Amino acid sequence: MKSLRLYAKYLRIHFLSGLQYKGWFLMTVQVLFTVITDPLGIILLFSRFGRIGAWSAEKVFLVYALALTSFGLAESFARGLDYFPWRMIRSGDFDRLLLRPRSLLVQAAGSFFHIHRLNRPFGGLVAVIWCLYALEFKATGLNVLVIVLALTGGFLTYTGVFILTSGLAFFTIRSLDWIYIFTNASYQVAKCPVDYLPRALRHMFTFFMPMLVISYYPAAAVCGWGQPYWKGLLAFPAGLAFSLFAALIWRVGVRHYQSTGS
Amino acid sequence: MRVKAYLSLFRVQALADLQYRLAALAGATTSIFWGLVEIVIFTVFYTYSERAGAGIPAGLSLNQVVTYVWLAQCLFSIQPLALDSEIQAKIENGNVSLDLARPMDLYAYWFAKIAAGRLTPLCWRGLAVLAAGIVMPAGYRLGPPASWANLLWTLAAAASALFLAAAFGCLLSSVRLSVDWGSGPVFMLILVSQVLSGSHLPLQLWPKAWQRWLFLQPFAGYLDIPCRMYLGSMPLEQAAAAIALQWLWIVVFVIVGRLLMARQLARIVVQGG
Repeated sequence: MKSLRLYAKYLRIHFLSGLQYKGWFLMTVQVLFTVITDPLGIILLFSRFGRIGAWSAEKVFLVYALALTSFGLAESFARGLDYFPWRMIRSGDFDRLLLRPRSLLVQAAGSFFHIHRLNRPFGGLVAVIWCLYALEFKATGLNVLVIVLALTGGFLTYTGVFILTSGLAFFTIRSLDWIYIFTNASYQVAKCPVDYLPRALRHMFTFFMPMLVISYYPAAAVCGWGQPYWKGLLAFPAGLAFSLFAALIWRVGVRHYQSTGS
Repeated sequence: MRVKAYLSLFRVQALADLQYRLAALAGATTSIFWGLVEIVIFTVFYTYSERAGAGIPAGLSLNQVVTYVWLAQCLFSIQPLALDSEIQAKIENGNVSLDLARPMDLYAYWFAKIAAGRLTPLCWRGLAVLAAGIVMPAGYRLGPPASWANLLWTLAAAASALFLAAAFGCLLSSVRLSVDWGSGPVFMLILVSQVLSGSHLPLQLWPKAWQRWLFLQPFAGYLDIPCRMYLGSMPLEQAAAAIALQWLWIVVFVIVGRLLMARQLARIVVQGG
């Protein structure tokens, strides 16, 4: 509880300091911009090539938007962890966190917050709602629950990726760029209809990093694409399990920490 | 005399960046993965979609798109996706005053630094991506250039692209010089440049009605123009004009960047200490 309050305070301070800049209102324009540009490629592809078998643009887009929103949420609310290897470890700033008698993960997560990062989850959410509407989504309690749990599980999954990266950064300091495979590159995979996805990719993003578990299965469950509800509901436990696994690596990493920088 | 100083600055920065071979190769794994995913998506559209042949009238067959993806992943690394981290830090912590104290032209000084920072990712990361593209199995493989002449024009266009990227990077740094505006304007400029470069989707696959403007806008020069030359999807008679277009935009970016920098320096706020 105390940690949560601390985290909220961090966010508030970062938010207020963000408002000090003259150009802060440009943020709203940025939101609009990202909302339009992020999916532009896939929209143009569908407008040129038409649907793929049973997959209409809305269907592909729903899966993509769920993954995108999850990533955006994690990127917005765990920005500090995203930056951690670059801004905290290499500079030696992590030493200061160790001195404070508060949760390290909370301090690291709250160390950065950028207002303009909110544009991705916002745009993603708009896209999710629009697609659900276009696909004649029935807003029953269960369906809404599946979607909410999918986004929560997705948030946990992507936060887990950041925690994992930060944990690994204790060992390698540099050379962590490959982790983008599980962040920005991972939701690109969702642009491909799941039935056509090469098996290796499909397994990697189901059983190791559960990107498809938090996007495709919930979408398929609520829209009736032949996947059972229990698979759709796996999103939350899968996300939780992945982030707990990441937290374990982080713990080992902290134990292993030797200061760098000055 | 002066030029020599900037050239050596460029050399020092480039050599320093090249030390991080492992980091570059780690970055290449992401590019390769990203490229493979894009190829899968294009293959699905070119094979299973309702209008599977719709790429051909745009001038791109599936094999050409696959080659485009690899070239784009290679050239993508020269695009400024953020400010030069060192320059950004200097602006934020006030060390920009140190740079101002040097008996050098600040714009040229930054240009040399940024140009070096744009070139080095191409060396390790870019080459690793190309090598990966060449050894891929059929269907995922980087194809050969349309002809030797096409290859030479591609190299010329890629070299101009480097200057274009550096000039745009300098323009961004000049914009960022006004600390009280924060990073918002720069973020938006970068986003525009990224979308219009064709790295998300080859510009030829965009709607037909926009083609003319898409070709003339500055960011086609990053990788779309070099790719068209390599694939032969642009007649070679136009190649010289395309490179002239790249240089036109370089000149525009340099002039605007310099003017903006002069304006910003006239009332610069140095913060920190």
